[in-house]
Amino acid sequence: MPEGQHTSNALERFKRLFDKFGIGIALLIELILFSQLSEFFFTADNILNVTLQTSITAIIAAGMTFVILTGGIDLSVGALVALTGIVTTSAMSSAMPMSLALPLGLLVGGVLGFITGIFVTKLNITPFIVTLAMMTICRGLAFIYTDGRPIWEVPPEFSILGNGRLLAIPIPTIIMLGVYVVAFTMLHRTRFGRYVYAVGGNKEAARLAGISTNKVLIQVYILSGALASLSGILLASRMNSGQPNSGLMYELDVIAAVVVGGTSLTGGRGTIVGTFIGAMLIGVLRNGLNLLNVSSYVQMVMVGVVILLAVLLDQLRKK
Amino acid sequence: MKKIFFILFSITLLFVSCSKKPEQQQQQQQTTSKTKTIGVSLLNRAHIFYKDLEEGLQSEAAKHGYELIVTSGDFDLGKQVSQIEDFITRKVDAIVLCPVDSRGMSAAVKKANDAHIPVFTADIASEGGDVVSHIASDNVAGGRLAGEYLAKALNGKGNIAIIDQPTVTSVLDRVKGFKEAIEKFPGIKIVADVNGEGVRDRAMQVAADILQAHPKLDGIFGINDDSALGALDAAQQFNRKNIAIVGYDATPPARDAILKGTQLKADVIQSPTLIGSTTIAKIHEYFSGGTVPKIVPVEVGIVDKEALEKMAVK
Repeated sequence: MPEGQHTSNALERFKRLFDKFGIGIALLIELILFSQLSEFFFTADNILNVTLQTSITAIIAAGMTFVILTGGIDLSVGALVALTGIVTTSAMSSAMPMSLALPLGLLVGGVLGFITGIFVTKLNITPFIVTLAMMTICRGLAFIYTDGRPIWEVPPEFSILGNGRLLAIPIPTIIMLGVYVVAFTMLHRTRFGRYVYAVGGNKEAARLAGISTNKVLIQVYILSGALASLSGILLASRMNSGQPNSGLMYELDVIAAVVVGGTSLTGGRGTIVGTFIGAMLIGVLRNGLNLLNVSSYVQMVMVGVVILLAVLLDQLRKK
Repeated sequence: MKKIFFILFSITLLFVSCSKKPEQQQQQQQTTSKTKTIGVSLLNRAHIFYKDLEEGLQSEAAKHGYELIVTSGDFDLGKQVSQIEDFITRKVDAIVLCPVDSRGMSAAVKKANDAHIPVFTADIASEGGDVVSHIASDNVAGGRLAGEYLAKALNGKGNIAIIDQPTVTSVLDRVKGFKEAIEKFPGIKIVADVNGEGVRDRAMQVAADILQAHPKLDGIFGINDDSALGALDAAQQFNRKNIAIVGYDATPPARDAILKGTQLKADVIQSPTLIGSTTIAKIHEYFSGGTVPKIVPVEVGIVDKEALEKMAVK
């Protein structure tokens, strides 16, 4: 039956296409939908606006992808955004030059990520608990240090990082793209990337195969922390200030982006490109709904529905 | 393992015993039978807001010849509770509270009720317990001032947006007053009312989206300074010069932005001194046998560049 064979071939081909680009197709549909619904959506200005706004969570999501691929989770990222912003801005407001304050900010996330990694590996506590504790510790430190008030006396040139443009493209957007190129290379082109998948797929097998699983785990938490700090610096620069209450609930947005992007929470499966598209999908959704003046309460529900749909899609794909 | 627990336990004990150390604050003054004594526990004594509030209390108390015992909870509920217990032991004639924690205060307020000492709250309310009167800023009036200022700045016409936080009661009052004022100007349309969650980063994001959706937006009301400053960040990112923003609270970064001549034009400002003096005035009414309303709203003001420059000169 050549006819039947043909259709099943087409179906098969569609399935394979969907397998590869499922989430990308969803983003495409979303883009078309919003450009039909709002005349302001598909303008160069707004597209750049979306990439600028999404850059903050997307950068963190790149690091989170590595963590989740190992079967872990990092809930501390939102609080780290705030703490890093505070440390960086207060360093600058007490006359530290920017060339030192920025690396210092990155160090905050790196060091705290290292501590998280030690707790997860050497002390064998589940990442959920360790990073939950880290989250409240970092948030608390940010409030203690500032007494709850923002740090706003920062040098004017600091604002360029978050608000400047290079050939009309916002600098955070460019940094985000850079982070994704590096993350893609690390995950899909290096030994470290293969180890990350191996640890997430089967930790015991990875260990028996001679991989230093502890080292890999500590490295992914350092990476996640440092990228959260990078986002924290960019956000502080966009706001020209360090805000102890910034980054609230970012961890949920970030985890949503990673999961919508097709990474399995049990580890071992997922891609960095998927995460990028997942972050964009949620960013575009928020932006589009705001453009259409949809109430914030309705938006919460819709973001939740999209997450459920994306995970459901992923389940169906696996079967 | 046992050792670790023992160490942890002793450290905890040490902390507990330290924090329980009785603080004999400036409570040596003897109360004579004639002058009325009022025990005050502020939220803290370092912030300018509470310094001004204390000044208002003191000046009004001097008028009536009341004696004040001023202490401060310093954000520590345990400390504040023991201060109230001290007041009860000393049999003060009234207690003024700025609760560290609205809910956590109820037990101490009930103790004062049992001792038949009238309790007044200033600035922050207490949930539970019997409070004679709560004296705080009038948020509806504050919103109204913001609305009137923005309407006048836009010459009575234009499109405006609210960076809102509809989960907080005081904010609902502010927005209510704001909308009341705007209704009087038919040429002004509220085209968007979005939730910035009261924090600068979220406010900046939703403001950016609003600016995209409304290329002809003329004004924004931020329900607090983080919301207004977030809107300012977005306006500056998109180089929208012809927009007027009004904020609320007049915090130092907002004052700075207003003075620098940015799009943030004005800020609603509370008067802690007036809250303080009104509180004592109401206590005086109560002592004189008058009835005092459960809630006493205190007037607020609005400051723009000109007003702030005058204040700086003073």
